[in-house]
Amino acid sequence: MKQPTLRQILLVTDGCSNAGISPVAAASLAREQGITVNVIGVIDRHEMGEQGEREIREIAEAGGGLSDIVYPTQLAQTVQMLTRKAMTRTIHQVVNKELKDILGDSTLERLEPEKRVQVAGMVDELGERSSMEVVMLVDTSASMKTKLPAVQQAIHDFSISLRSRSGESRMAVCSFPGKHQHLDVRIPWTDQVEKAHQLTGSLAVSGITPTGPAIVEAIALFEHVSLPAPLADRYRRESGQRAEDDSEGYLEDHVF
Amino acid sequence: MYSKSAFPPLPREFSGRWNHKRYSVIRPLGQGANGAVYLATQAGRKLAVKIGTDPLDLLMEVNMLKSVQQVRDVKIGPLLCDVDDLLIDGKPCTFYSMEYLEGERLDRYAGRVGREWVPVLAVQLLTRLEILHAQGWVFGDLKPENVIVTHGDKQVRLVDFGGVTKKGNAVRQFTEEYDRGGWQAGDRRAEASYDLFSLAVITIRLMTPDEQWKKFTREGRTVARLCDIIRENDGLYPYRMPLLKALQGIYKDAAAMKRDMVTAIRLRSSSGRKKERGSAAGMVLGGLFVASLLTLAGTLYCFWF
Ligand SMILES: Nc1ncnc2c1ncn2[C@@H]1O[C@H](COP(=O)(O)OP(=O)(O)O)[C@@H](O)[C@H]1O
Ligand SMILES: [Mg+2]
Repeated sequence: MKQPTLRQILLVTDGCSNAGISPVAAASLAREQGITVNVIGVIDRHEMGEQGEREIREIAEAGGGLSDIVYPTQLAQTVQMLTRKAMTRTIHQVVNKELKDILGDSTLERLEPEKRVQVAGMVDELGERSSMEVVMLVDTSASMKTKLPAVQQAIHDFSISLRSRSGESRMAVCSFPGKHQHLDVRIPWTDQVEKAHQLTGSLAVSGITPTGPAIVEAIALFEHVSLPAPLADRYRRESGQRAEDDSEGYLEDHVF
Repeated sequence: MYSKSAFPPLPREFSGRWNHKRYSVIRPLGQGANGAVYLATQAGRKLAVKIGTDPLDLLMEVNMLKSVQQVRDVKIGPLLCDVDDLLIDGKPCTFYSMEYLEGERLDRYAGRVGREWVPVLAVQLLTRLEILHAQGWVFGDLKPENVIVTHGDKQVRLVDFGGVTKKGNAVRQFTEEYDRGGWQAGDRRAEASYDLFSLAVITIRLMTPDEQWKKFTREGRTVARLCDIIRENDGLYPYRMPLLKALQGIYKDAAAMKRDMVTAIRLRSSSGRKKERGSAAGMVLGGLFVASLLTLAGTLYCFWF
């Protein structure tokens, strides 16, 4: 069986979007292009509020992914679990489709348990070997300030999980709102994120949270989506081609 | 879709759709992040029945329970009995049943019988890990909640095979508190040293009072912090060599760590006996302790006498 490439956007946010295209619409756009959108809501002592919770659930539903709302201390483990579950789901769908082709209308649920156990093993093995591309999309609006150390820790932790896989894996980290665009690429595609990487440096203090536009821009990072040349230049540089120094990033942004 | 969908309560009586075995549920046994386990009877015998949040994860556990070969004298986990679907409110839900391990969770057991037992239990665990590793598997989610000390013969058994991973793959399930990656001491690739790291953290955790553990780990998890605990804890200090080597990933297999643990236990019991005689708990436990060591004789005999 062909090994699928798994593409995911993982959105980490703490509240409602309030600028630009609806994030739910943006997530369905991603899904149309073969990218799953997962969402994690991070809360402090306060609850997130019904509207925020609903938005998080709806973005994930539209993006064909999973969502969860957690405290900062649970973030690292949640990132890892959610990504893994979403990956398994995607592969399960692929396998189910192939099964349908082989067995007619019989889906996995209709197979006897012993056979399903074997299929589960196959799904697991495919998941381990397939290529994986994940863009972490971090809300850095002012209210996220106290949560960013946990986010940073989660990013590093996720990179450990990725590099433990047998399949090819890489990740990129973006934050929104960006300095000039809706989103800044903080760590371009890489298979290893240093622990020391600082997200806290450039917190946006403005009150806008353009979640939808940020998702749309994040889609552009994936290579299988065709882009006009200048946009491709902006989003697709590998790490190493760019110093991860903030001032230099700033200059480059100007050049663009 | 939320990642954590709660599992529906199990009906008191049910039969599997495929294999038609009939179960009566007696009581819940425990619950973790991925499922709930109940005590039930089927055809007159007691079994443990597990249902899960994610059908594929549950089927993978079954896969692992089937893959790991049980050795005759040293049992590693529960034997698998049945995999089937039951209908809850008209919706099919996958479950499996396994041997019921009558006993106590490792942390509760150690809390009850005393800390001096922990190194012995660690040695028992190492015996299981050695067998598992030799078959090409790594347990992955090793933690006190996934270890049961059986009543009667006082043997440790591993439950929850959701983390069992083929060597070389990424560990399928883990818990931050016992995870090598979470302590910034390496990656999550399944290899013997991954389990040995968890085992070292379990040993330290079970021999450290709760408040002290919380205080030490509040400012983040690092191996340096674990070393501080070992240094300050008289109960752990005699085991510093095997613990440190496991934390640093020096051991390539469970057998090597087991040798060093056994040596440390022996040294401690011969040098520290006088000092410990004063402790009342030590006296009460003395008999029990020796009795259990005798059941371990297969592994300990040559070192002990
Ligand atoms: N075969 C068994 N016999 C007795 N108790 C069991 C058995 N399997 C599991 N348990 C109890 O149920 C609890 C939860 O089961 P577990 O399989 O670890 O669930 P999870 O995958 O959600 O962590 C365990 O911590 C253990 O105490
Ligand atoms: Mg468990």
